[in-house]
Amino acid sequence: MSDQTKEHTPTITVADQRVASQKGEREFMMDVRTQDLEVNMGPQHPATHGVMRILIRADGELVTGAQPHLGYLHRCAEKIGENVEWLQYLPYTDRYDYLAAMNNNLGYSLAVEALLGIEIPRRATMLRTICAELNRIASHLVAFGTYGLDLGAFTPFLYCFREREWLLMLFEKICGARLTYSYLRIGGVFNDAPPGWLEEVAYFCDVFEEKWAEYRDLLMLNHIFIKRTADIGVITPAQALDFGLTGPMVRGSGIDWDLRRDMPYMIYGEICDANVFDVPLGTGEQGQLGDCWDRVYVRVQEMMESIKIVRWCLENIEDGPTIAELPKVLRVPPGEAYVGIENPRGELGHYVVSDGGKVAVRCRVRGPSFCNLPILEDIMPHTFLADSVAIIGSTDVVIGETDR
Amino acid sequence: MNDGNAIYRFLQPLAPDFVGDWGVVVTAAMVGVGIVVAIVSVIAMVSVWLERKVSAHIQCRYGPMYVGGWHGWAQTIADGVKLLTKEDLIPVGADRMLFMLSPSILLGALFAAMAALPLAPAFYFGWFDLGVFMILAFSSLTTIGVVMAGWASNSKWSLYGAMREAAQVVAYEIPLGVSLLAPLLVAGTFNLVEASHDQADFFGMGWFVFKNPFVAAASVVFFIAVLAETKRAPFDLPEAESELVAGFLTEYSGIRWSFFFMEEYAAMFLMSAVTAFFFFGGFESPFTYLAHEAFGDGIGYQLVCFATLAVKGFAGIFLMMWLRWTLPRLRIDQVMTMGYKYLTPIALLCVLGAGLWEGLKYALF
Amino acid sequence: MDFQGIYDRLRAVDAPGLTGCDLPRDADPEDKKDKGRAGDAFVLVDPAQWTQFLRVCRDDERLGFEQLVDLTATDPGKDDENFWVNAQLLSLRHKHRLAVKALLPKGAATIASATAVYRAAQWHERECGEMFGITFAGHPDPRNILLPDDWAGYPLRKDYEFPKEYHGISCE
Repeated sequence: MSDQTKEHTPTITVADQRVASQKGEREFMMDVRTQDLEVNMGPQHPATHGVMRILIRADGELVTGAQPHLGYLHRCAEKIGENVEWLQYLPYTDRYDYLAAMNNNLGYSLAVEALLGIEIPRRATMLRTICAELNRIASHLVAFGTYGLDLGAFTPFLYCFREREWLLMLFEKICGARLTYSYLRIGGVFNDAPPGWLEEVAYFCDVFEEKWAEYRDLLMLNHIFIKRTADIGVITPAQALDFGLTGPMVRGSGIDWDLRRDMPYMIYGEICDANVFDVPLGTGEQGQLGDCWDRVYVRVQEMMESIKIVRWCLENIEDGPTIAELPKVLRVPPGEAYVGIENPRGELGHYVVSDGGKVAVRCRVRGPSFCNLPILEDIMPHTFLADSVAIIGSTDVVIGETDR
Repeated sequence: MNDGNAIYRFLQPLAPDFVGDWGVVVTAAMVGVGIVVAIVSVIAMVSVWLERKVSAHIQCRYGPMYVGGWHGWAQTIADGVKLLTKEDLIPVGADRMLFMLSPSILLGALFAAMAALPLAPAFYFGWFDLGVFMILAFSSLTTIGVVMAGWASNSKWSLYGAMREAAQVVAYEIPLGVSLLAPLLVAGTFNLVEASHDQADFFGMGWFVFKNPFVAAASVVFFIAVLAETKRAPFDLPEAESELVAGFLTEYSGIRWSFFFMEEYAAMFLMSAVTAFFFFGGFESPFTYLAHEAFGDGIGYQLVCFATLAVKGFAGIFLMMWLRWTLPRLRIDQVMTMGYKYLTPIALLCVLGAGLWEGLKYALF
Repeated sequence: MDFQGIYDRLRAVDAPGLTGCDLPRDADPEDKKDKGRAGDAFVLVDPAQWTQFLRVCRDDERLGFEQLVDLTATDPGKDDENFWVNAQLLSLRHKHRLAVKALLPKGAATIASATAVYRAAQWHERECGEMFGITFAGHPDPRNILLPDDWAGYPLRKDYEFPKEYHGISCE
């Protein structure tokens, strides 16, 4: 992106002009200078899903360059992590990826627990898994719904939000919050599920299965949708690895990688041994491998896989305590740990460093949205303006997480 | 029937002598303009309400439910009042003149086109032998308003919207006009009332789409072109709210913005009515047939004709809404491809086929 | 491979700049001040040979770290004379991770940019640069990423003092 302003001056020299005007032709071209249009998509733009700005250089409808600019939602999360106690930091984790706050709680809790080296009660682990997977569904519903919105299909968005609303209601029942849960705590979960909650989750799974097929047929297999997304924004497997893409972005390019299966944490190892879920991959079914359609379809399929995991947990959940005994003021043994978990958007990494005190020395968050974004500079040029919207949508970016 | 304006005919016997013929003409014109404005406003109001209800029910919502009592019928009126009282913003750096002028041009062109639309066989603002030409000509003039709005706004998104509108309308004027030639061949007239009368046989079901298979094919092409012409999804690229913020409307607010809105919905009705006139029987339906049997050419018959037209117009609007809330948006190159590569040749084939069909019918029977 | 296997392999291929490793250990029961070290094991690398080391990690068949998952820095304390530059490498083929750490003196906080090895490093390095004031030599686009372009100071350093105002806006 070094050439900031690129001007196309017509290759007509003064001598040419004289000749041309003598001939009486092309006179009108003499002082015509064309220039690429630089247009800011954002910070307030419907397609950027928050307050991101993408500086687009465009030749008419054709995008010739794109440069994302971040920082509009920077809330100093990492600095705050160095100033508040371990337990107090948990609510801040809700705020990075506000669409999958359960997963953020989980990532942070696991990282701190890795330093503490404590045993988590089995029921707590099960509840964690159920909540994390339900939250994954909720997050993917938003991703899928807003993707339809980006392409101009308004209705699937509201259908998706109907099911998401149900999920948020379930979360509200278990922890009292709809978006920023702080339910998964260091050492377990905040409280046990209220009576009847698990049955309601089972009922949700049954209903969702039917709805899921509808949504897939309504939007994923819509002819216009396929035309708009197939062969657009192709990420090759090599590119995906080089840019450190994770989650549905890398799976959309056909790379078989899922932290839940390949580097199991919590009880995912057990779930994988029971062969409960598959890892959906991009297949290039409608176009080239790694196009927008593949990435979105991976997310759509993942919702179904999460349902399977939730069902397995519901079958195998046992009674027991839901949180490990921990002191009120937590002192974490000195050391450092990096724990990466499979967030709906990719690998959510927490790198925590402790010196044995009440607060962290370093509390680094590796947000998947942040790491999935730089690829835009590579794949957005030479697409149409409308495609660039489709590409941004297919990265499923949450600005709370990129800016932290 | 071609004895001029219906209002003029109505007023002439009533006028006192000292007014003279000129006075009657001017009064008739004023009344006519008033009626057109009223009709456009009412259509826009009803359509906006309908759009909100249709979209809501498609999306498992209720839509407006409170204002006015019954299913929020007065919501649009309340919105209109709100829009009237809003501050009139003109962005810094905008071309003030063009910025203020463009909604007027847009709406003026639409009113002019509306004037050629007969509302009942005996109620029309003027007897236009080239009525449908007038409608098409004036409704494509609205594009000038949109391009002006986009250019004058001094916003890049608006400019994008305007350029898209220009490209799209140029591409779709061709199939729009050409596909309309097919029913025109059958009708043998450009006058809407006469075209409607041509479809009165078979108990009011002698619609051109039933009379000639190529007209039926052309009706599909025409409808798609109408969608593009009225900027409705999947061809709402000039607005494209997720790409261009709001396209050419980005910088407009308050009452000026509502002019664009009014134009959009009235244009939808106008084009649906034209579709009805040249493909789906116009005033004709079995009810019209029965009414004609019962009342002759009297006021009852005229009312039934008007109702039939309104139903057909709103059926078209409903179809457009249904599509809008179901389909994703096309990309600009796909829109162009569809217009130039598919619809134009198909429209030409339809005209050819319709002509041959009519010729054969003439030769054989 | 587990950490020991990776470390042995790094030693075997004579990875440039490898200076040692740090393993978690239990507290020494005799020394009351010693609390041990918890968490992950990591390897220590000489910052002068940072990119060469990463390149070996990426290209060696048995190590096979295709992805740079995370690159960040840490200021361990006001009195500490080094920054840590931490990288998390991930091998999708072999399903193993490696934490890499380079100790970078605060006085001369310059390290070669890893962008040429892993393009994923690009934005991480920009973030480290603005937050810690570490210079990544050879970075293609070393602008601020999250902070405004005119931000003074490096917020994640331990000796950072919060500004009293920003462009006339009071921050207190």
